[in-house]
Amino acid sequence: MTELIDVFLGGTFHAAVLFLVAAGLQLVFGVQKIVNLACGSFYALGAYFGITAVGLAIKFGMPPVLFFPVLIVAGLAIGLVGLPIERVLRTIYRRDESYQLLITFGFLLMFQDVFRFLWGATPRTMDDVYLAYGTANVLGVRVPTYNLLVIAASLGIAVGLGFFLERTRIGRIVRATAENRDMAEGLGVNASKIFALVFTVGCMLGTVGGALVVPSGAASLDMAVELVVESFAVVVIGGLGSMRGALVGALVVGLMRAAAISLVPELEMLSVYLVVVIVLIVRPAGLFGKATA
Amino acid sequence: MKLTRRDFSRLAGAGVMAAAAPRLFAPALAQNKPLRIGIIAPRSGAAGTAGECGIRAVQWATERMNKEGGIAGRKFELVIEEETNPKDTIERLRKLILQEKVDAIHGLISTGVSLGVAPVAEEEQALVVMWDGTTQDGVKEMMPNPKYVFRSTDNECEAVMGSLLAVKHFKGKFKRVAGINPDYSYGRNNWEAFKQILARFGVEAEFVAEQWPKIGTMDLTSHIAALNAAKPDLIFSSMLFADLPVFMKQGHAAGLFEGVKLVLPAAGWQINQLKKEFMPEGIVFGHNTLYFDHPQASALQKAFVQDYVERYKEVPHWEADRAYFAMATYKAGVEAAQKALGKWPTQEQVAEAMPGLEVESLGGKGRFRKDKIAEQVFYQGPSTNSNKYDFPTLASIDTFSAEQLQKPPGADFWEWIKTAKMPV
Repeated sequence: MTELIDVFLGGTFHAAVLFLVAAGLQLVFGVQKIVNLACGSFYALGAYFGITAVGLAIKFGMPPVLFFPVLIVAGLAIGLVGLPIERVLRTIYRRDESYQLLITFGFLLMFQDVFRFLWGATPRTMDDVYLAYGTANVLGVRVPTYNLLVIAASLGIAVGLGFFLERTRIGRIVRATAENRDMAEGLGVNASKIFALVFTVGCMLGTVGGALVVPSGAASLDMAVELVVESFAVVVIGGLGSMRGALVGALVVGLMRAAAISLVPELEMLSVYLVVVIVLIVRPAGLFGKATA
Repeated sequence: MKLTRRDFSRLAGAGVMAAAAPRLFAPALAQNKPLRIGIIAPRSGAAGTAGECGIRAVQWATERMNKEGGIAGRKFELVIEEETNPKDTIERLRKLILQEKVDAIHGLISTGVSLGVAPVAEEEQALVVMWDGTTQDGVKEMMPNPKYVFRSTDNECEAVMGSLLAVKHFKGKFKRVAGINPDYSYGRNNWEAFKQILARFGVEAEFVAEQWPKIGTMDLTSHIAALNAAKPDLIFSSMLFADLPVFMKQGHAAGLFEGVKLVLPAAGWQINQLKKEFMPEGIVFGHNTLYFDHPQASALQKAFVQDYVERYKEVPHWEADRAYFAMATYKAGVEAAQKALGKWPTQEQVAEAMPGLEVESLGGKGRFRKDKIAEQVFYQGPSTNSNKYDFPTLASIDTFSAEQLQKPPGADFWEWIKTAKMPV
């Protein structure tokens, strides 16, 4: 039983981070109809900036217990980089999808050089945060408390995002714009502002994900591309543009991967993409996606 | 002024001499030009830290050797290119040979890349001295008798040594064994070599888990959960990239290492990142061919480590030694060939002179065998956290030479491992 809990918690931690990046991808596609390949770069940007922010916090003598909120604030702050990027993307909103893919892929590659220039090519680690929170016992399984904090933060963000989209006035406007941009504009909605807001929030989801994950791992030049691939598996499983799909898809990918690693390590990637293939055959729109004609 | 016939003859003679001078003195002038040595090393990605350490060492060697007169009296300079994938690296190799017209090429860490580069170097008749690359497909030598390409010691040396030290230090103290190794031929061969050495020394072990994370995986929580579930007494891992510190940190936080013995034969590559706060003591810890804190280090090593720490605020690892070794053996080869021939040698003549020449490298003495594979000294031992650094050092040092750890020329690795005379 403890083995099962251990595997479950490992998979959920991975899913928590994956959800944040995939949610950003979903939000942007859902409203702006842009497949944002640069979402992995935002994740990496959050990781690198998180290291810088914690470095500053240490310099100013902050106690380690405050590093977790520092990382969240750092992720949110650097997520504002979404605003100028959205200004660039405006030029291709009404163009063919291939332009969108090319320009966001361009950002993905350019960001890699930005990271290399600012933070160097060597993977960067942060050792002061992950172990500062100690360990917790969950049903007889020893788990780093930091992992539980990340899972809790990710769940909190999912609930907050759901509340924002479903229960607030701006959320309703965002959904209306997603449903029919021209109609929303006809009713007086400033779609440009909504797009800027949505893209920035999507960017923040990625940067917060990166900032939260870096204490447990490392920030490296490759991390952007690696996560993009997994995020797309989440999107295909959950359904393009669906936030619920992002949550369920992330859980499916995280838990499938953890189970495969535990049972048949050689099938780690196969297990995930087997689900992707099955979903594409049986339910092409994904578990929560809307079927299109 | 009256010009006599004698004056005219003198002037004409001087003119002829002046016209002929460039041709007459051309070899001497060429030899006064600095030698150009191409360096190909990774500067980003998983092996970026290793490449950077090697480049720093070779820059230090250049500065030091040039101060002492260079190579056979000629100063030398470096032309640095990045090692990436095989295709692009081959392009850069060709650029160094054809456009930069370098006198030799050093570097290369990835065996995957080296396998592609070596035949091209042979074809172009370019002298290449590899830092850490081999021309082995797994453990099978693909280039038994190259003319221009010098290869590093076999990649499995450190795993063979780590396995022998596991027997020496831990025999009788463990039963359940787990492995977590990088998912490519290096990791798979190391794990298999470890299992075979345990069997050869009569260690009855139950292999309870095998994990194969791909290089650069930074979330290893699920792998650690799987290892925890298997309840091992000993974990063998030849992870060596940035994922090793991540594994140690996440494993420590999950309580994986409590009461568990660890064998990390290639950990030295990440020494600066393996912080005491998550590193248990008593690990069989591999430093490969350079242990930076060796109490009996040579004056050369001491000078290098001191300069390196002052300049970069971290300690060097074995890639520095490999880079220095490549430069030192090349220098010895050029000087030996020049002395024997009485003129500046060609790349072919340098390649012929290099095998068998013993040089002092940062980590100790070493040489190239006749088949152009390196023989160097390896350092490993049980780790301790009682030191002035924020990472572990060795409580005691086990020292083996490559002759004891790598298959002889032409031998099959798996046959050799079953029958070789092992130093434990």
